[in-house]
Amino acid sequence: MNWLLDIIESSIGKKLLMALTGLGFCVFLFGHLAGNLTIYGGKDAFNSYAEHLHSLGPILTVAEIGLLVFAMVHILSGIFLFWGNLKARPQRYVINKSAGGRTIGSRTMPYTGFLVLLFVIFHLMNFHFVDKTNTTIFQIVQNAFSDPIYVGIYVAAMLVVGIHVSHGFWSAFQTLGANHPKYMPLIKGLSICFSLIVGMGFGFLPIYFLFMS
Amino acid sequence: MQLDSKVPGGPLSEKWDKHLFDLKLVNPANKRKFEIIVVGTGLAGGSASATLAELGYNVKTFCIQDSPRRAHSIAAQGGINAAKNYSNDGDSVWRLFYDTVKGGDYRSREANVYRLAQVSNNIIDQCVAQGVPFAREYGGLLANRSFGGAQVSRTFYARGQTGQQLLIGAYSALSRQIAAGKVKMFTRRDMLDLVLVNGKARGIVTRNLVNGNIETHAADAVVLATGGYGNTFYLSTNAMASNVSAAYSAYKKGAFFANPCYTQIHPTCIPVHGTYQSKLTLMSESLRNDGRVWVPKNPGDKRLPSQISESERDYYLENKYPSFGNLVPRDVASRNAKLQCDQGKGVGETGLAVYLDFKDAIQRDGKDVIAKKYGNLFQMYEKITADNPYETPMMIYPAVHYTMGGLWVDYNLMSTIPGLFVLGEANFSDHGANRLGASALMQGLADGYFIIPYTIGGYLAGTKLEKVSTDDAGFKATAEDVEARIKKLLSIGGKRTVDDFHRQLGNIMWEYCGMARSAKGLTKAKDLIAELRAEFWENVLVSGSGNQFNQSLEKAGHVADFIEFGKLMVLDALARKESCGGHFNEDYQTEENEAKRDDESFCHVAAWEYAGDENEPNFQKEALNFENVTLTQRSYK
Amino acid sequence: MTQSNGKKNINLTLKVWRQVGPNVKGRLETYQANNISTDMSFLEMLDVVNEELIINHRDPIAFDHDCREGICGMCGAVVNGRAHGPEKGTTLCQLHMRHFSDRDTVVIEPWRSRAFKIIKDLVVDRSALDVIIQAGGYISVSAGGTPDANVIPVPQEAAEKAMDAAACIGCGACVAACPNASAMLFVGAKVSHLALLPQGVPEAARRVLKMVQKMDECGFGNCTNETECEAVCPKEISITNIARLNREYIKAGFL
Ligand SMILES: Cc1cc2nc3c(=O)[nH]c(=O)nc-3n(C[C@H](O)[C@H](O)[C@H](O)COP(=O)(O)OP(=O)(O)OC[C@H]3O[C@@H](n4cnc5c(N)ncnc54)[C@H](O)[C@@H]3O)c2cc1C
Ligand code: HEM
Ligand code: FES
Repeated sequence: MNWLLDIIESSIGKKLLMALTGLGFCVFLFGHLAGNLTIYGGKDAFNSYAEHLHSLGPILTVAEIGLLVFAMVHILSGIFLFWGNLKARPQRYVINKSAGGRTIGSRTMPYTGFLVLLFVIFHLMNFHFVDKTNTTIFQIVQNAFSDPIYVGIYVAAMLVVGIHVSHGFWSAFQTLGANHPKYMPLIKGLSICFSLIVGMGFGFLPIYFLFMS
Repeated sequence: MQLDSKVPGGPLSEKWDKHLFDLKLVNPANKRKFEIIVVGTGLAGGSASATLAELGYNVKTFCIQDSPRRAHSIAAQGGINAAKNYSNDGDSVWRLFYDTVKGGDYRSREANVYRLAQVSNNIIDQCVAQGVPFAREYGGLLANRSFGGAQVSRTFYARGQTGQQLLIGAYSALSRQIAAGKVKMFTRRDMLDLVLVNGKARGIVTRNLVNGNIETHAADAVVLATGGYGNTFYLSTNAMASNVSAAYSAYKKGAFFANPCYTQIHPTCIPVHGTYQSKLTLMSESLRNDGRVWVPKNPGDKRLPSQISESERDYYLENKYPSFGNLVPRDVASRNAKLQCDQGKGVGETGLAVYLDFKDAIQRDGKDVIAKKYGNLFQMYEKITADNPYETPMMIYPAVHYTMGGLWVDYNLMSTIPGLFVLGEANFSDHGANRLGASALMQGLADGYFIIPYTIGGYLAGTKLEKVSTDDAGFKATAEDVEARIKKLLSIGGKRTVDDFHRQLGNIMWEYCGMARSAKGLTKAKDLIAELRAEFWENVLVSGSGNQFNQSLEKAGHVADFIEFGKLMVLDALARKESCGGHFNEDYQTEENEAKRDDESFCHVAAWEYAGDENEPNFQKEALNFENVTLTQRSYK
Repeated sequence: MTQSNGKKNINLTLKVWRQVGPNVKGRLETYQANNISTDMSFLEMLDVVNEELIINHRDPIAFDHDCREGICGMCGAVVNGRAHGPEKGTTLCQLHMRHFSDRDTVVIEPWRSRAFKIIKDLVVDRSALDVIIQAGGYISVSAGGTPDANVIPVPQEAAEKAMDAAACIGCGACVAACPNASAMLFVGAKVSHLALLPQGVPEAARRVLKMVQKMDECGFGNCTNETECEAVCPKEISITNIARLNREYIKAGFL
């Protein structure tokens, strides 16, 4: 398995891990969002979705472990890449201007990524590692989002996620070698669409709750 | 010393094969016992280093730039010739040979040129195998174009970057050998002298341009591929680092210098803008396929080109040479541009330019067609001049571009110093008095890939080479000479910068030893150069010290040699009392102002032997015998 | 930066990075460049400044250059934060002063990257790029014994794409401009050039693995697809070549 290690340890290898896990998250986000949209169907719809999800049992556990592994890989390789890149230019430029390549998304990947991590922990503490006896998930969510501070944090976090994937999405394709002059504009367009859908889709939910309460 | 060209006997077409058979071979197991120094990594030096290493020799390669990939060959635009006859238009080895000899105005060595034409086809095969992305037809086969007024399409090209792509090919082969440990690469080294031991070339002295160290290197043979000396003129299309120093140091050590006065002046360059100008930019010759050259009929007419009506324009090339028109050879086009400017009809701010107008071509073919052909050239022109050639005519003027002269070599490419081989533009061998377009790249690669690998073996196998080491007295003494000169340059502390002297030398050379020469002007130039030389050694100001990265010092050494060499060019021009190819002497012209050759007295190679700084060099002739072509006067009417 | 038609002279304040050697601290120093013709190239402007420095017995600014026509890849500096200056698809030697205005301040810094040590002032050591090529940026054929050039047809489109990639002049601007000092565009261009041609296919896998390995060893950063390289490349080489590099790497690594 030496060959595999060699490949993964290389700069491109690390990027591949980043891209695969990142795209994995994108798929997850998409699914998560689809599920969460049941909220607009009302309390029962949402609770039944949650119940349905939990009835999957071991499959869900496997998926959760998978996500955790993905997260570890994504974060670890991200840290290695970030560290490597810092070292690659020990002396910075006095003046540094973009020639038009960078975007807000690309500029801030490690930082938005880190914020997302903080948010995910916060999010899990809010909704996952909570005592769920005598209550429904809908209630938990409703409670949380009656607090404008929570809503603020969630909306901001979704903005950050949107920014992260606005670069991450197309970047993953480029990293996987899928860049073709014919299709790249489409992928870049999709990247923007995806980040808007994710950002707004998740972002409106807390606001919706706030207004409902 | 009697010059012996060592051209083998027998019919022209069999000479090379016969010679290959006659050359002694080095036993494969013994090759690794030989060390060869190659100076230069252009097409000639790069290909030679790689090929010698592939054969098993241990090679040490040197270049001035920070990477072997940046040699001046990289700038060649137009293409490379070969006698493949892929276009089925009647080309052959014989025709390429004939065109080259004729183009050189019958001042080159038949046998060398024929060999060049013979191996030209192998070069293309080699380059394609290396991954040179030549232009191709839709069917996937190689595309050809006609170039420089040739009657057949034999030029292979990679957009406007043929030199770059060929050099990258040679560089990649070289890189492979560096990785294999067979070539040891020394970059940022300036060769300052040649070391002889028992009369044979056995090493070089270099200055490490990063830390200023003077280094000596020993070998069994030395190959110089250090390019041309066009920068003697200060302004030329050559790269800034192009210099004559390496070749000149060999000359001072006894290698004969052949035909130094043969310089090629290219007609389509971007004109000079001001005194700060540091170099000139070539616009591909292909522009003359569609552009029409003109000047206003009235001297001193300073109106905008758009305000000058058809009847007030003089399309002088078309009028004077109805059958070739704008496509006359380089030397003719250049000289006529000068003639017009001398009459005060030059255009632009300096009056040293003529128009190259695409209006009619655009009207005829449409802007798209013209853009497809020349788009990148137009863009480059606009970048430099801020003028848009689609709307206003280009301005062009001739500029020094290539030097046909070089160190004298025999058929084996060996100079008059045993063990010193000279390749590429640095030698004099194949282009006579004028080089055809797309032939320099061919020659550089022919020398490096297909000639030196065999001929150097013949030398090494047939010569008794005693052991030498850089600790020997000869090396030490040469290194000391070099250091003394550097000390001298640094100690003068005068008032004028190196560039200032170089600029002045360039003016003298351009004025009196440029496109049109005369005994009177050349004699004057001789005096002016002597004065300049004297002043240089008293009044030059070189900054910094010797043991550091010091570009001012590097340049000073080169300019000191250019000044010496300028004198040699002038002497050679004075001695050649005829006009031929790139050497146009006003005293020898036909009634219609065309070059007038004197085959009776000057059908020879002029070779010069150094005889001390203060003395005139000795002169030797190598007679040129043409057994296979008849000498005719070129005519483009 | 305004485009000024017609010739004129301008005065500039230069802030130039001066550094005596690789392990010495450098700093920006200020110089006046007066009476600069807008027809000059950027390097000619530096020539003028240097001439004056030399005459005044001061150390001239060291900068690399050779062809001065945008093909050798020798020149390069970061001008006001942009590699090779403000013009697209232009090397520093081809940048003309008409793109600057009177009384501009121009900050000039060397390429900065761990893999490129500063030799002096604006001169850096780019030999890492050569080392990467030595690791595999070639087709292993020796002189002689090659088949006729037309034996293997190459589709025109492939030849053109290969040429697009092969146009790289190895100046290192991609590394200089990359926020991560990555050399992926340089390596991508070479890998693409050779992988696109049938002649380069036999050793494509070996080539890409070795070149990437060497690139990493040399201390370049990792590509995060910022695309600044493509934006400053004087030959406008596209990042599709980086994607192709990734593709070739995946192919070579996993198949
Ligand atoms: C603008 C331009 C366009 C051209 N276009 C064409 C064309 O289309 N077709 C064509 O056939 N020809 C063309 N030519 C001519 C052709 O490019 C050159 O003649 C040819 O490339 C010379 O190759 P070379 O290997 O002999 O020398 P160069 O490529 O000049 O290489 C010289 C080498 O020697 C080294 N060197 C020099 N001096 C020293 C020293 N003192 N110490 C150490 N190393 C040293 C340099 O570092 C360099 O590596 C063109 C020339 C110019 C200027
Ligand atoms: C919802 C969660 C996340 C999604 C959907 C996501 C998605 C992505 C994607 C698709 C990429 C692009 C990979 C590539 O360029 O090839 C990426 C890169 C990256 N991510 Fe994430 N990510 C998420 C969470 C995180 C977290 C939690 C962190 C860090 C703690 C993080 C840090 C990074 C970093 C540093 C990069 C590399 C930047 C780069 O290569 O340009 N991400 N992410
Ligand atoms: S000096 Fe050659 S590219 Fe600028």
